[in-house]
Amino acid sequence: MIKIIDNTLTTLDRILPSKEDLHTFCQLLFTLGVDAIEMSRDVYERMEYLPDNQKFILDIDLLEERELYPGFYRYVSRHIVCDDNLIYELQMNDAREIVKLRALKGCKELRIVGLDDLICYDSFEKILQEIIDFLPKTSVILCPENTYGCASALAIQWVTGFGSNITTSFAGCKNNAATEEVMVALRLAVRYKISRDLTVLSDIKKLYEKFISKSIGNKKAIIGSDIFKVEAGIHADGINKNPATYEAFDPRIVGGKTELVIGKHSGTRSIRLKLEELKLPVPGDFVITKILDIVKEDCTAKRRSLSDTEFVGIVREVIRNERKQIHR
Amino acid sequence: MKESKYIVDTTLRDGEQSPGIALGIEDKVKIAKLLDELGVYEIEAGIPVLSDAEEEAITKVIKNKNRSKISVWSRMNIDDVKRSIRCKPDIIHIGMPVSYIQIYSKLKKNKSWVMKNILECVDVARVENIDVTVGFEDASRSDIGFVLSIIKELKNAGINTIRIADTVGVLTPKRTMELVNTIKMNSDMRIEMHVHNDLGMAVANSIVGARAGADLIDCTLFGIGERAGNCNFYDFIYACESVFQFSMNHKQIRQVEKLVYSELSGAM
Repeated sequence: MIKIIDNTLTTLDRILPSKEDLHTFCQLLFTLGVDAIEMSRDVYERMEYLPDNQKFILDIDLLEERELYPGFYRYVSRHIVCDDNLIYELQMNDAREIVKLRALKGCKELRIVGLDDLICYDSFEKILQEIIDFLPKTSVILCPENTYGCASALAIQWVTGFGSNITTSFAGCKNNAATEEVMVALRLAVRYKISRDLTVLSDIKKLYEKFISKSIGNKKAIIGSDIFKVEAGIHADGINKNPATYEAFDPRIVGGKTELVIGKHSGTRSIRLKLEELKLPVPGDFVITKILDIVKEDCTAKRRSLSDTEFVGIVREVIRNERKQIHR
Repeated sequence: MKESKYIVDTTLRDGEQSPGIALGIEDKVKIAKLLDELGVYEIEAGIPVLSDAEEEAITKVIKNKNRSKISVWSRMNIDDVKRSIRCKPDIIHIGMPVSYIQIYSKLKKNKSWVMKNILECVDVARVENIDVTVGFEDASRSDIGFVLSIIKELKNAGINTIRIADTVGVLTPKRTMELVNTIKMNSDMRIEMHVHNDLGMAVANSIVGARAGADLIDCTLFGIGERAGNCNFYDFIYACESVFQFSMNHKQIRQVEKLVYSELSGAM
């Protein structure tokens, strides 16, 4: 069974959020379908207590810290190889290092961090299989890093064909696979946790942006604010006929919605759809074509798409001119 | 010796379809010139049927080109192909819907209609001695049997390159590998990978596609494009320049990005 550990809360020590926000963040991640949340000691101390009936993991340096911080499901350490309730974390920057795994046969739980460029290897699937073969009795958690933009893909490859445990972070903030990308990809590929409410992603995003005092990129996969905007005429028409023609999934499942934008690539169908959306009368083909021509000219001059207000301005002007022509 | 792979830059076509930007004639000419100097194999310059200004921009890009091949994108429609021919590009790329959802739900046609139409469109362009590539739209959700049957017909019609378009961005590395491998096993078509980043896997899928035998990889500057964008040119080269031979390195791409940031920032 696939298990996802989210380690976003190991990245916030310098900007510790409030206790309430941290608890809300944890609650939202569990609603999303994350199986365990990993945190730093500073975050835990800010939270003051752990919510009941959920799995939490703490990053520690020394074995004794387990007694200082009881109640965690697991502890993660980079120094201690094998002990109860312990995940040993091993950084592996090169696939050739996997021979090191032979020395870790006694390890109960191991997290491999790194392997950024693994997907570039011809034999990357063979290497993933070797990891399993070297450690038949170890629970291996893969945490691919994202230096080459391939972490989410590698995480999916691991849990759909090799192991079952991965570590991710929201928006890939810890330079690893992005939790939201992995959750949606798994839902589409293997119908993973199909009943989970992914609409909480928009709340998680808002809270995370509050933590870091920055906005997430507009085009970030799954959570970017502009990713469900559609301008190209052929796509607008297709989505209107059947959203599945040009959308991998219904934007509403992740708390988003399709937005029709009028721009240089719009077609006559887009103009009609926008007029209907704005509850404006839809004129005949001749006038629609005139509107489209001016839209294209205006967008090229402005070097951008139009706001709804600008579009309405063009529509009114074209219709006014048409009336003048008729009355002459 | 590293295997050579070739970049098809679609910043001026798919990249520009990203809501937020509209490139003018001089913008397109400037960006194309920089891509040409960078050693991009093919520059997809735009869609002639969009407007007279677009056609003028493409014509200027073609006039100013040096090393790169210049292609234009066309719907599978004879009038559109004829408009493309007017620009005298090196390549006309014709988009052909191949998934059943696109054929039956969007076009409201059937497989025979699609097959007949693409062959007619190809013929119209090839009579003018213009090279044609065919893009399999929504190939990632298509029936592989149908795809292979189209490839056979296209090969007979003189087509040597097909584009596998992951139009809605649902490919995973495993599916990419299977798709490219199956096509390679059943034909000698040259394959061009065109993937979208809806699941954050565009770079990985492009690498896996190249590994499986795709010779041409579609990219855009800054990864701009529909929805979550296309394969990011810089990220792709940075990730696999140690494995494949390209005409450019990641540092050169960064330099170009700096020079065109103001033109493309609206799409980010």
